[in-house]
Amino acid sequence: MKHVKDPSKTADAQQWRYVPTAGHWDEAFRESGLPRHAWRNLSVAMRRMGGQEFARRWDVGSQLIRTNGITYNVYGDPQGKERPWLLDPIPLVVDSQEWNHIERSITQRATLLNSMLADIYGPQRLIHDRHLPAALLFSNPSFLRPCVGIQPPDGVHLHTYAADLARSPNGTWWVISDRTQNPSGIGYALENRLVSARTLPSVFNQCQVRPLVAFLEKRRRALQLLGARKSDNPRVVVLTPGPNNETYFEHSFLAHHWGFPLVEGADLTIRENNVYLKTLDGLERVDVIMRRMDDTFCDPLELRGDSLLGVAGLTQAIRSGNVAMANTLGSGIMEAAAHMAFLPALSQQLLGESLLMPSVATWWCGHEAARKFVKEHLDEVVIKPVPRGPINTPAFPAQMNAAQREELIRRIEESPEDFVAQEQVSLSTAPTHIDGKLEPRHIVMRVFAIWDGQGYRVMPGGLTRVSTSATSLVVSMQMGGGSKDTWVLKDSNSDEETAYASSERDQSPANPTDLPSRVADNLFWLGRYGERVESGVRLVRALIPSLSGEEDFGRTATLETTIQLLSALGYLGEEFPAISIAQKRWHIERLLSSMVYDPARSSGIGWNLNNIRRVAWPLKERLSQDTWRVLQQLEAEFSAPVPVYRENRLVAQMNLLDRVIVTLSAFAGLLMENSTRGHGWQFVQIGKRLERALQMSELLLATFGDAPFDLDPAMQTLLQIADSSITYRSRYFTTLRPEFVLDLLLKDIANPRSLLFQFEGIVEHMGYLPGYSNSIQPPPLRLAEAALRKIREASVAELSARDRDGNMLPLEELLSQLKGDLYDISDALTELHFSHVTSARFQPAL
Amino acid sequence: MRYKAVHTTTYRYEEPVGQCLSETHLTPRSFHGQLVVDSKIEVEPKPSVVESHRDYYGNEVSMFGIFKTHDRFVVTATSLIDVEPPPARPLPTITWEDARKELSLHPDPDSLSAYEFTFDSPFIAASPQLAAYGAATFKPGRPLAEAVIELSTRIHKEFSYKPKTTSIDMPLEEVLKRRQGVCQDFAHVMIGVVRSYHLAARYVSGYLRSGAQYLGAEASHAWVAVFLPGYGWLDLDPTNNVLPREGHVTLAWGRDYGDVTPVKGISLGGGGQAVDVAVRVVPVDAA
Repeated sequence: MKHVKDPSKTADAQQWRYVPTAGHWDEAFRESGLPRHAWRNLSVAMRRMGGQEFARRWDVGSQLIRTNGITYNVYGDPQGKERPWLLDPIPLVVDSQEWNHIERSITQRATLLNSMLADIYGPQRLIHDRHLPAALLFSNPSFLRPCVGIQPPDGVHLHTYAADLARSPNGTWWVISDRTQNPSGIGYALENRLVSARTLPSVFNQCQVRPLVAFLEKRRRALQLLGARKSDNPRVVVLTPGPNNETYFEHSFLAHHWGFPLVEGADLTIRENNVYLKTLDGLERVDVIMRRMDDTFCDPLELRGDSLLGVAGLTQAIRSGNVAMANTLGSGIMEAAAHMAFLPALSQQLLGESLLMPSVATWWCGHEAARKFVKEHLDEVVIKPVPRGPINTPAFPAQMNAAQREELIRRIEESPEDFVAQEQVSLSTAPTHIDGKLEPRHIVMRVFAIWDGQGYRVMPGGLTRVSTSATSLVVSMQMGGGSKDTWVLKDSNSDEETAYASSERDQSPANPTDLPSRVADNLFWLGRYGERVESGVRLVRALIPSLSGEEDFGRTATLETTIQLLSALGYLGEEFPAISIAQKRWHIERLLSSMVYDPARSSGIGWNLNNIRRVAWPLKERLSQDTWRVLQQLEAEFSAPVPVYRENRLVAQMNLLDRVIVTLSAFAGLLMENSTRGHGWQFVQIGKRLERALQMSELLLATFGDAPFDLDPAMQTLLQIADSSITYRSRYFTTLRPEFVLDLLLKDIANPRSLLFQFEGIVEHMGYLPGYSNSIQPPPLRLAEAALRKIREASVAELSARDRDGNMLPLEELLSQLKGDLYDISDALTELHFSHVTSARFQPAL
Repeated sequence: MRYKAVHTTTYRYEEPVGQCLSETHLTPRSFHGQLVVDSKIEVEPKPSVVESHRDYYGNEVSMFGIFKTHDRFVVTATSLIDVEPPPARPLPTITWEDARKELSLHPDPDSLSAYEFTFDSPFIAASPQLAAYGAATFKPGRPLAEAVIELSTRIHKEFSYKPKTTSIDMPLEEVLKRRQGVCQDFAHVMIGVVRSYHLAARYVSGYLRSGAQYLGAEASHAWVAVFLPGYGWLDLDPTNNVLPREGHVTLAWGRDYGDVTPVKGISLGGGGQAVDVAVRVVPVDAA
């Protein structure tokens, strides 16, 4: 039996056993049960550590994944958009000798695929000379005809390449798929490394694992180099389809790591065949686009007539040589499995070398001999889908009945070029940590190569993906499989890259300076929604005590005041029933509870939190990780279950709101302390001040408008909500008087909750925006200045005077005006800075 | 015959448009039988640049962008074209089965480039329904030329010309079921049938001379060309049941409508939009 670990004396020796699956190569252990050479250090360290200690450390690692917000979006997942990244704590270890072979093979393959792309989008000699069947090209929807004839800089089409490798039972590595479009995984591989190096630090150091950061730095330089012929200081952007893409986390991670702006199609525009980034400072020229968008989506004008994700006119800009694209448009064509059948011969033809690493055996049915072979060996092959072909998932003829097989053969005969058959792949296994035990799981290793300006470089590591069960041969993040860090061991006599090893953890990315207008828009709303949540929390928190039944007139709101206020603020319908106190209390309690918890209640706290999420999500790469963590904590706080019993519920709500106020302060503090005072920050602040002013105007209107004869309880509550009771008492030492309350909340420049304070802030922050100054006053600033003057000129004595009916009409008039001004300022900002967020659309074609 | 062709496309918007970017296939191409003497494209309001290049099929494409606010824009293409078809040659007798074989082997550059037009394209995919419609025509051993001429005649007879009953993104099977449409639909159906037999057919965009008793004049027109091995491309107009000669001016060809759309574009904003097309093709005296 391949019993592996020496049963040690620890209590958990039993669960620390590992039995590989028979008939497959195991990455860690030999048939004899001894660890392979490369795994020795890891194996010893894990045995010493024991299952419990290992599990404890892993808890820390898992925590890191959650707090770093490493996610993967799963299409069509009803549970919401993203799910935490699944990482197995046990890395895959590859020794240096084996890696040398992989490295040389992948370099060769990237070179070969690039040559093929250069031919397909150039002279097409391979087709004319019949080295590659024309049908492979003509039938492939990834063959982008508008891109034929476009010459990329240095003839390089493939800037990032990934290959999925599998190992057969005899230990040979095979390429099972090629990723040439916009391969994902480099960012996840680096995150995996950060987590695993922190989970197993001593083992990691002991094992002499090759670091990854140097590779990413090469990638960054290569991207800049690509634009070097156009500009001394080339601007590189990372183009993403947006936060709903399955690997958006990685897009933002890489952009952040490199210090390149992460942009969506709407952030770019084309003028005279140049690509520009729309920023607050105006249009900034873009020299290089690293795309994480599939090529057909990149240009709605020339490439795909039914999606507006990309940038109209981009293809023409590339054709004109004004912008470089990595990978080039059309490079996705090399992902078709059918090409693999021709690689050995093409390697000889184009490189004069034999292929160093085989592909999984592949037959393209468009060739008669291959078709015949496939028909005779149906049980041994898997029929692979081709783009837009008759099948869209792999088909296993061995599992078909006679009629189905006959039907399959008929369809192959009907359109043979649509069918590709491959040998069924056997995958190796590696020990995986499952419920505290070690179990074998099948693995596929994704390795990466990049063009560094001279040649291809292979990342010394990879993204290893793990099957969902011991028997499943499907490894797919979409299907819920996990991943492993991949440790490539150093060559004993090589010390290159060590300089980078120490910096593996603390990278300080360059700050993206360009602020796309779309991002400014989101930041503005982040400020507004953040403030809305805070004011919602303050309101509910001040009102809950009125439900307790022990009305302490000196300090808390009475139920009647609460009802009045909520109704003046528009939370209660006209038809609020005049019923018994108990019933009223029940109604108000339900209302306050839904304001806290119900995300469907528009303008409730839950609803605003969802909006924070909506606007913050595309800002992910701009918020510090701590800020992001605080946002996640906010969400976690609100997703706690609501207690069933009323008494508990009120207490729980109070506790929740108290906690949330602290969390919100942390959020505001982090924004304040950890953000450079760039334009983006000004927009957050303007949004926050504007929203706070709006809320304060509403509160003042609700308190003093249609004023009841006895204002005291309402003013009491108002001060409570505005967090100004203490200030009031310490300053005026007196009972509540409207003119003092107004003085404090309207005109006090020292009170951070007063209206004057907000408008002063708005004007001040606007002063830092591009194009704003004392001499040049764009409409938002003009409006804000005018509103500020109104407050300054207002006399509290006049405003607080009541007329014969007890009304304070001048105050109501002023507050309504200010509210209107605030809406106008918001509109003017939108018009001036965010208006291009207008969506593009197709003209009717004729 | 020398023609002057004036092709005007007018877009009107309910609300002003901030910018737009357009791609046009409005310059007729020159080839054996047709010579473009002069051709120009004018845009109003004036675009920042007009840029031209040849597309994958050798058609001239012009692109332009307008970056100032406008509520209408007009593209006018004016061309002077000599249409002198070479004398009619006898059509080849190769059967459609042999033609199909020849295409799949594509022994020479002509048949290789024709081979590309046997495959599905974004607007036209082969299907059992299209093949079934063609079955009455593609009888075993029949010469390909004879079969496609009959197919064109059948479409002319069995489909009725009804503008505004179909849209370009309607699936071909639906058009086939309704038996009605306009020239683009008839061309697409015919190409789809031919491709369902693994034969090569392409989409031709162009004009009809004004004043003739043609369906589809005074607008942009479309017809079909089928590749006959050993002969070349044979043009057929199923809308009018003719083999195009002096009366047809060729603008561009491609796999389907999407490859050679005369005017298409993307705009920012604009509210409701309306588009108007006028085409005038009149003989002029050769100087």
